[in-house]
Amino acid sequence: MASAGESGDGADGKGVTTITIISSDNEAFEVLEAAASMSLTIRHLIEDGCADGGIPLPNVTAGILAKVLEYCSKHVAAVAASSEAGSSSNAADAAAAPEKEEDLASFDKAFIDVEQDTLYDLLMAANYLEVKGLLDLACQKVADMIKGKTPDAIRQTFKIKNDFSPEQEEKIREENQWAFE
Amino acid sequence: MEWDGDGGMNSVPDGVVQHVLSMLSNVRDVAACACVCRRWRDCVPYLPALFFPRNAFDAAAAARGAADEAIGRMVAAVARLRELVIYCPFSMARLPAWIAARSATLRVLELRMDAASDKAAPDGGHLDCIGLAANLEELRLWGVSLTAAPAWGRMERLRVLEVVGAQLRDSAVKDAIAACPNLTDLSLLGCDCSGAVNIELELLERCRLDILGGSNCSLLLAAPRLESLEVQGFTWITLRGGHSLRRLSIAKSTGRVHKVDTGNLPDLDHLSLRGVQWNWAAVSSVLQCASEVKHLMMKIEFCGDMDALQPFPEVDLVDFFNSHPKLRKFEIHGAMFAALCQKNSLKNLDPRFLIPCLEEVLITVRSPLNAEQKLNTLESLVKYGVRLRTMVIRISQMKNCHDAADDFFEEICKFKYMNYKKVRIE
Repeated sequence: MASAGESGDGADGKGVTTITIISSDNEAFEVLEAAASMSLTIRHLIEDGCADGGIPLPNVTAGILAKVLEYCSKHVAAVAASSEAGSSSNAADAAAAPEKEEDLASFDKAFIDVEQDTLYDLLMAANYLEVKGLLDLACQKVADMIKGKTPDAIRQTFKIKNDFSPEQEEKIREENQWAFE
Repeated sequence: MEWDGDGGMNSVPDGVVQHVLSMLSNVRDVAACACVCRRWRDCVPYLPALFFPRNAFDAAAAARGAADEAIGRMVAAVARLRELVIYCPFSMARLPAWIAARSATLRVLELRMDAASDKAAPDGGHLDCIGLAANLEELRLWGVSLTAAPAWGRMERLRVLEVVGAQLRDSAVKDAIAACPNLTDLSLLGCDCSGAVNIELELLERCRLDILGGSNCSLLLAAPRLESLEVQGFTWITLRGGHSLRRLSIAKSTGRVHKVDTGNLPDLDHLSLRGVQWNWAAVSSVLQCASEVKHLMMKIEFCGDMDALQPFPEVDLVDFFNSHPKLRKFEIHGAMFAALCQKNSLKNLDPRFLIPCLEEVLITVRSPLNAEQKLNTLESLVKYGVRLRTMVIRISQMKNCHDAADDFFEEICKFKYMNYKKVRIE
């Protein structure tokens, strides 16, 4: 999510660092370093000192990068809030923790409710950028789309080619026939 | 319909496809995926879990032995199987082969034994094969018979043991648990048990014991790391090592609780005491040990040692709240509320008396007797409970349908209106 402010990496007066990420189509996004570091790939680049002038990601387009950074920003904020609540002895804070978990869960649910093409792009981006939470979320969404379907229906949903030879097809069907009775 | 396999799912790398398929465990889904294409079929050996639901095979297929065949084939196909859950009917005689095949990787095993099509040998010998899975961490068994301890050898890695609906003999329990010395979680639920249950586990953190039983059963539990304990059905309870205990629930749905010896419980947050009849010494012993408690639920109908059911003796309200100063949430059903409504507690009150932490109270009032004192008590709770936010009064189960009840009801409504922000009637 592009945030207002100076481009390039810099620290604002409060000691909170932001860095710039550049999509494959040359759009720049400024985000908190903590949020960007939810991507292990980006974190390693920062640690290796490659963040000057912005981190280019030749494999991720602006649209998808925006979504990934939105996910990271939301989740990094939630982690910060819950560690505050954890160290607070305030009963109200402790009571609010399960509510915040619910908030995050409904954010995730709405976030991953996207067109199939976008879902694949998110899957690939989360994999390449190594954002574990987002990868799990996207994979679970695809898994949910597989549940309860016959092989034909699965192939249809995901436009997958049946590349078994006739003999292999025969063997596989025989072994798994019980599942389709 | 044919697709040329470009773009979309087909461009997703193998590792990601593997990750997606690893989130499926229902065997029907796994079998379907194996039939989709070669790439997906090749993921099957690396799946972590297989779940055979109750209705995975219809009756006709099961009769043909199709279930056992399919289970055998799938277990063989998934080379690194970590988690196996079988709810559908299967043949006990086939179990040893399945477990032996995956003994190196199996970590979680859950079996519905009551669904097994060949009834188990009464001496429990059929369970011995579970010992082959030396790296097992979690074991859940439904409807098993443990009249003799299974020959598991030492299950060093087992952390979670759950047995539901079993016929247990106390010596079998002791021996079975001795085979699993490193348990952190133990649940014996809906189990038929009699005599003395004796459990000693160094690492136990969570324990649930729910036994059926007309007969009187005693529990001796020694577990120095215990954090949560829930027991139902025991008449005598002795706990050693409750210094880390945070949650305790003791219930007995029929019969009597005669003695409870817990030792001091300095970390206890949540306490729940329920039953038809408790010996009063047992009640007061637990309440004394739980001085730091924050959430207290009491639902005991009667006291008394023998067959005579007696009401609670008087409980001094001031003493009670002074000895449980951290009490935040209090749920009172049954005899406890009547016991707290005694005339003498509130006379000669120290003006500094407070109920400092109480925020929520839920009271069930069953009888309109002693109405004036009961209202007095409700008013005192509101008056001295400086942090009180909610009081819920349940009167829907009130006995005695005569004038006294009506008057009482009216008084309670008046009380509610005077304190409408905090008091609610159900």
